[in-house]
Amino acid sequence: MRDLPTGPSLLALARDVLLKDLLPRLPPEAHLDARLVANSMAIAEREAILGAGPANQLLRELEMMYKEAEGEPEVLNRFARDLRAGAFESSTPRDRAVRAILWRLTIFKLRQANPRFLAANGFN
Amino acid sequence: MGSQRSELLPAAGVAQDHRTALARFLAAESGAAKVEFSGLAPLRGGAIQENWAVDACFLGGLLAGDQRLVLRTGAPTGVAASLSRNEEFAVLKAAFAAGVTVPEPLFACEDPAIFGKAFFVMRRVDGTAAAHRITRDPVLDPSLSAIAERLGQELARIHKIRPPWHDLAFLPSYEQVGPAQQIEGFRAYLDRHPVPRPVLEWGIRWLETHIPPSVEPVLCHHDYRTGNYMLDGAKLTGILDWEFAGWGDPHEDIGWFCSKGWRFARLDREAGGIADRAPFYRGYERESGRRVDRERVFFWEVLASVRWAIIALQQSDRHMIGGERNLDLALTGRRTTECELEVLMLLDPAGAPADA
Repeated sequence: MRDLPTGPSLLALARDVLLKDLLPRLPPEAHLDARLVANSMAIAEREAILGAGPANQLLRELEMMYKEAEGEPEVLNRFARDLRAGAFESSTPRDRAVRAILWRLTIFKLRQANPRFLAANGFN
Repeated sequence: MGSQRSELLPAAGVAQDHRTALARFLAAESGAAKVEFSGLAPLRGGAIQENWAVDACFLGGLLAGDQRLVLRTGAPTGVAASLSRNEEFAVLKAAFAAGVTVPEPLFACEDPAIFGKAFFVMRRVDGTAAAHRITRDPVLDPSLSAIAERLGQELARIHKIRPPWHDLAFLPSYEQVGPAQQIEGFRAYLDRHPVPRPVLEWGIRWLETHIPPSVEPVLCHHDYRTGNYMLDGAKLTGILDWEFAGWGDPHEDIGWFCSKGWRFARLDREAGGIADRAPFYRGYERESGRRVDRERVFFWEVLASVRWAIIALQQSDRHMIGGERNLDLALTGRRTTECELEVLMLLDPAGAPADA
């Protein structure tokens, strides 16, 4: 149980104060850094809101594919090794399933890191 | 990866003994009786190299009068793949001699006693290299197609430099830096990286199985893109940042220029965020007398996204592992996933599943 306002809402407010109140009072050479700070806060805010749910779901899918529960670093390492070796290329359905996982992983990460870029590429 | 491009930073002084030694060095190299500085300040923008704006008055000699120069030296954390300042100076000289629009290279110095580390000095050219400004400025819009054509022409001029080239004998041979070796390098890096990158592994596997037949290598800039050329209004004043130059497939530079990572505010303009590919290719084909091979460009464009992804991780390592307190570098690591999206978009045109 945490107190209110929540961490993400504090980050959102702090970011608003930074960009609207503080940035105009900073010398021009500090503007870039201030925007980088605001961007970092926005990433942290989105990560806190979205949580680890979608990533965990992808991990479970990978574990199902391998029919083993291995935990995050192991299953991801194994997946990466298999992709390097082209292990899924001989089976079209598997290849398709793997591509779907790669897309979902990437879109999930970009929803946190850069949703604007995602939208500019035609993804919601 | 910046150069002359950006604004002067305030403060950040130079030790008096470096000022004196630099003035003596410039006087000796140019045959001046004396060199006096009216300005000597760092330029912001170089993620890897450090650049200083030098305003100096030369009393006599080859550069008699007031001169606006840039001194280029290594930033605190070097990146292994980049050339030394002396080597970059030799490449810049070769490009200048080949008629490429670059700031004229003047003097190089390897003696750390002069400025603390090796450096070279070139003329300072006017304009901006700020990519977001160039890709957004509506005033530039009517000129951008012609600028893209000119950039194609300039690139073809760079590619006229071919091995063996006696002053560039230090560059590794194409066999040492070709696509197979780059792929090996990407994988070696990923093996050391703490977090697995499945999309990159998948993209690199595609690259490995689609390496095009080898070509006669040419001098590649290897970072030829919006952000690395200066525009004074609509006039091209200089191609910058030669630290990654080396022998390569000419399509490597074309793919890099067109890759999505370098389109900034205009993802829809495939030639560097400034124009369609057509004028860029036209300028290149006219100057080189060779047709741009679209399939080869596609291969190198995929490789460009993978390479940019790895560079983004390496930049972030400078903070994560190297301990550099630099938010820009730290955030660059997050851009890796943007490159991964592009790898997927290029190689899986069927697109994302509906539930993504």
